[in-house]
Amino acid sequence: MASSVDAYGLSPHCPVRKGRTALARAAWSPYAAGILIGLLQIPAFLLVKTALGASSSFVTVGAHLAALFDPAAMDNAYFAAHAGGGKNWWQVALVVGIALGAALSARLSGTARSGVSPVWAKATGIAGFAPRAAMAFAGGFILLFGARIAGGCTSGHGISGVAQLAVSSIVTVAAMFAGGIAVALLMRKV
Amino acid sequence: MEVYRMVVIGLVMGVAFGFALEKGRVFEPGVIIGQMQFRTFTMLKMFLTALATGLVVLALLNGVWGVALHPKATQFVANLAGGALLGVGITLAGACPGTLLAQVGAGYKDAWFALAGAIAGAVAFGYAEPALRPLIGDGARKLTLDQLLGLPFWAVALTLAVALIAGLVLLERARPWREDLGPDADGLRN
Repeated sequence: MASSVDAYGLSPHCPVRKGRTALARAAWSPYAAGILIGLLQIPAFLLVKTALGASSSFVTVGAHLAALFDPAAMDNAYFAAHAGGGKNWWQVALVVGIALGAALSARLSGTARSGVSPVWAKATGIAGFAPRAAMAFAGGFILLFGARIAGGCTSGHGISGVAQLAVSSIVTVAAMFAGGIAVALLMRKV
Repeated sequence: MEVYRMVVIGLVMGVAFGFALEKGRVFEPGVIIGQMQFRTFTMLKMFLTALATGLVVLALLNGVWGVALHPKATQFVANLAGGALLGVGITLAGACPGTLLAQVGAGYKDAWFALAGAIAGAVAFGYAEPALRPLIGDGARKLTLDQLLGLPFWAVALTLAVALIAGLVLLERARPWREDLGPDADGLRN
C-alpha cells in the first residue's frame, strides 16, 4: 500500500515527521524512550528506596478486592504483606500514572486508540471483540500468575533486576523470551 | 503522610513512564508480537536501552555514593517456570504488567479484559502461595554476577552497559528503528 517512501524510508502516512515538537510527535526512537525509563531508577532508588517494578501492584489491588468478598483474605500472609505501606501504594500509583501518561501522550500526538489492535486478526485469523477479550483475560491471568511465581515482571526482573546483575533476573528474562517466542511462533506471521 | 508522599512520587514517575511507553510504541501489541516473531526489533531496542541506562545509573549510585541495591532472590525453578509463564502471558495479552496500563490509557478496549485477568491472576497466586512456597523458597539466597565473579558491582555493570550499547549500535545499523514502526506506528509494517 505504502509505495513511496522518503529519505528516511518512511511512507507519506508515517507519523514520525520532522517539524513537530517532541511532545506532539507520534513516536520517539526506542533509544530516547528507553533512556527516559532507565533514568527513572534514580528517583526509585533515592526517593522510594526500591527498584522500578509493576507486578506486585496487582497483588495490592487484588488483596483489597479479595477482602471485599473474603473476610479471611488478610489472614493470608502474602496478601497482608502487599496490602499497605508506602512502597506498595507507590507502585499502585506508578501503574495508574502509566495509564495517565500514555493517555496524555496519545492525546498530544493524536494517536489515541480504539477497539483492538489489527495485529490480533492477523496473528490469530479470528476477528471480533469477544474472542479477543477472552484471549486478553487469559493472557492477563497467566501474565500475573507467572510474574508472581518468578518474583517480578519485565520491569522488576527485566529492567531493574538485570541492571542489578541479579542471577534470578537474568534467568527469568531468558525464560520469559523463550515462553513468549514459543507462543508467538504458533501464531500466524504478522 | 508517608503513604501520601509515596503516592505523589509514584504518580509523577508513572506519568513519565507511561509517556515514554506510548512514545516508544512498545505498548502496541503489534510491537510485542513482531518482536517475539523476530520481524521487528523495537521492543528489544527499548528494553536493552532502558537496561543499559539502568546499569550506568546504578554503577554511579552504588559505586560512587554507596546507595544500597535490592536484587531479587535466586530460585531457579521459580524463576524459570514463572518467567516462561510470564512470557506466554506477554504474547497472549500483547503486553507486560506495566504496558498493560499504557494500553488502557491509549484506548485499547481489550486491555480492560487483560487488566481484569491480571488482577484475577494475582489474587489466584495469593491464594495458591502457601501451597507453592516449597517451589518459590524463602527468598534468602540472592546471587549476583559481580559476587560470582568477585569483582566490584560498578565494574561489571559498566562493562555490560558498554557491551549492550555496542550491540544496539550494530542492531540499529542492520535494522533502522523507523522502518519497524509501520504507517500507523503500531508495529505493523504493512
